[in-house]
Amino acid sequence: MMRRALPVIGLVLTLAACTSGAQQPQQDAAPAKLDLKTTTPAAAKGLGKVTWNLPYEPQTLDPIRSFNYAENTALANMCESLLRLTPDFKIKPGLAVKAANPTPTTWVYTIRKGVTFWNADPLTADDVAASLRRHLDPKLGTWWGDYFNTVKSVRATGSMQVTVTLKQPDALFNQAMATGAGAVVQKKFLDQAGKSLGSPSSGVMCTGPFEFHDWKSGDSMTLTRNDHYWDKALRAKSESLVLRFIADETTAVNALRSGEVDGQYFYLPPAGLGQLQKSTTGSVTLGRSLTFWALLGSAKSGPYADPRVRQALSLALDRAAISKVVFQGTASPQRALTGSDYWGYERKTYQKAYEALPPETTDLAKAKELLVQAGSPTKPIVIGVQGSSAVHEQTANLLKATGEALGLDIEIRVVPVEQYGNLYSDPKARKGIDAFLSTWYGNVPDPLDIYTVFRKGGRTNFSDYKAVDGAIAKARAEGDPAARASLVTGIQEKVTRDVVWMPLNNLPVILYMNKRVTGAVPSFPYLYYPWAAGLGAR
Amino acid sequence: MTTYLLRKLIALAVVLVVASFLVYGLLYLVPGGPMAFLLGNRSGTPEQIAAIRAQYRLDDPFLVRYAAWLGDAVRGDFGSSLVYRQHVSGLMAARAATTTFLVGYSTVLIVVVGVAGGVLAGLRRGRVDAVISAVSSAFLATPTFVIGVLLVIVFALGLGWFPVFGPGEGLFGRLYHLTLPAITLSLGSAAFLARITRASVREELGREHVETARSRGIAEALVIRRHVLRNASIPVITVTGLTVASLIAGSVVVENVFALDGLGSLFVRAILQRDFAVVQAVVLVLVAAFVLINLVVDLCYKALDPRMSR
Repeated sequence: MMRRALPVIGLVLTLAACTSGAQQPQQDAAPAKLDLKTTTPAAAKGLGKVTWNLPYEPQTLDPIRSFNYAENTALANMCESLLRLTPDFKIKPGLAVKAANPTPTTWVYTIRKGVTFWNADPLTADDVAASLRRHLDPKLGTWWGDYFNTVKSVRATGSMQVTVTLKQPDALFNQAMATGAGAVVQKKFLDQAGKSLGSPSSGVMCTGPFEFHDWKSGDSMTLTRNDHYWDKALRAKSESLVLRFIADETTAVNALRSGEVDGQYFYLPPAGLGQLQKSTTGSVTLGRSLTFWALLGSAKSGPYADPRVRQALSLALDRAAISKVVFQGTASPQRALTGSDYWGYERKTYQKAYEALPPETTDLAKAKELLVQAGSPTKPIVIGVQGSSAVHEQTANLLKATGEALGLDIEIRVVPVEQYGNLYSDPKARKGIDAFLSTWYGNVPDPLDIYTVFRKGGRTNFSDYKAVDGAIAKARAEGDPAARASLVTGIQEKVTRDVVWMPLNNLPVILYMNKRVTGAVPSFPYLYYPWAAGLGAR
Repeated sequence: MTTYLLRKLIALAVVLVVASFLVYGLLYLVPGGPMAFLLGNRSGTPEQIAAIRAQYRLDDPFLVRYAAWLGDAVRGDFGSSLVYRQHVSGLMAARAATTTFLVGYSTVLIVVVGVAGGVLAGLRRGRVDAVISAVSSAFLATPTFVIGVLLVIVFALGLGWFPVFGPGEGLFGRLYHLTLPAITLSLGSAAFLARITRASVREELGREHVETARSRGIAEALVIRRHVLRNASIPVITVTGLTVASLIAGSVVVENVFALDGLGSLFVRAILQRDFAVVQAVVLVLVAAFVLINLVVDLCYKALDPRMSR
């Protein structure tokens, strides 16, 4: 075995071409200076077959119900959206060449000419309108509802023009068209497939650089190169991409080490991360990411409903230790939910606001003082964590130890993994739980995408936080970036000082590729961007 | 014989109905529903939730839902998976093949290794017996998943002789891919069968009619074959039948270790996601397999021991 010093990426990526305009990630006082990437070295040539692993088998390929890692990782290579979220977090034209905003409540999309579906039929406005309209039918059960709440109607207003009318102005709607929310499937195919759209037997009919070839339920999914892809710069280098579904982490790491699988994205560091980093047959790349690790407050009464108690816990918590112990050195501490990768506009404004926030370092004396001010509560604070998850359990241990140092009684309640999802959607499941741990991500480079959670009556506003409701509505309706940034930094200030959700660490994308391959996108947009188009031999 | 078979088949039908009712009821009582899987974790307006609940009959009373399911099942329609929105039959077809292959392969290994080892240990006293007994004790004491992990580390990652995961394709591909999983699944049972066989052979060797046959000067090989092995095989067959039935349960663990797309892994996931239709269908298939294997064991019995058929 060869031992390679951490971080591996510095050595491997000496060839990496810096993408023009990629911003330097803002580093705060992180314990380990992480060099997070947006590209990997370009492939010299294509391969016949590349095998990739997904963290679990997708439930469906229907874009409206694809809002999770495995589903989006697969779809991103097949179905394209109106706009495109690039690996360096920019929003560029996609299937629409232009997005115009003639009035605050109308978006007019000019559809790109000369684009064809895999079956050679041309893309028209009808396909786009039909795809977007599916989000408006409650029976179909879209998972992207947060971006379609403001939509009144979607109409094809020309053979190559689609007009979306909103009930009120919405700064996020158009940005969401760069994610899976704006994915376009052929109308004819939608009508034929009906309910079975996106199932192993039907698949999808889209325009992307890889075509759906087949999906053997329980075994694998095969995508093949689309030789007629409209964007020559993103034509797939390799002929086919086989996606496997090894859910067991140990088995997945073994398959990567043995070379049976060429690569995988991890959204949390696997227990075998060290083995992968030391592997002589491949390397790990850490990518810039919109994902973070946080303690979501859900208490409406009791000690944890007091912001001073939350501030105390936050101040006493050693985020550098979380990074080291829980995330094996891969996750930088964060002082706000939205770090620098969210600043897609008005970066200076956001940076100044971020620097003015309380630091992510510990201050136990101040924390104790705050607790005294809050009346030194004795009632225990119940924190929900997911069972059979090392990341959850280890963070819980650190929280408990922090509580002990602070004089705060913290009780950990382990919720089985299969019921953990109910905490997000079912108030009954949250009964008696003051806060719970979660990963979370926004979809677009705009901090407002995260802070929208704290709308009054929002389904994930677990603690019924009301202080920023008006400001969120204003910010969502604000078309001018500078004005919006000043509103959003105001919201960020309030939410962060009140520790509604406690920001812990930023979670970079962890990409493993074996030595045979290179060229995958290592940053968060891999969920919506054809990350495998550049994948090929070194 | 025909009435016997008929009786058994009627019993099977009754067992299936009872099992399906119990499983459906238990799944219904367990807290948590499939809603989180139907909605994702972050969106869903009240109207949307209501629409989905109505669509999947999630608000109907238990008996109504069970009766509807049973009515469809009797007509051969096992419904669709809530989570995957595919027909259950389609979901199960590919996976059933993998599990059947795995259990079949393991059965062959168990019978060959177990019976050979047991007969050898039974007939040869001394060192051979001691070695076989020690090895079988070790295999019996080691949990399945530990064996699986060790085999992967040594033969897949270390030596690179076998693949780490997956069921493989085509007959040879499958044999090659399923070798480590089948060994993992069979070692413990093979050790158990070896011990039973050894004890059974020893017992027969000490019997009077064997002594008598030997004293008459009948060739040793013939004595062993006709008097010892034939009689010793009755308990061996019983144990083999039970073991194969238990492999169906053991395959769940092995399928997870080797990332095989079997019924076991499908079953576990479906339970966690409260995917009623899938859980029900898998249970019926497993229960039916269990009962049928026992029926085959009974028939073998009859063939070997005429006294049984009376």
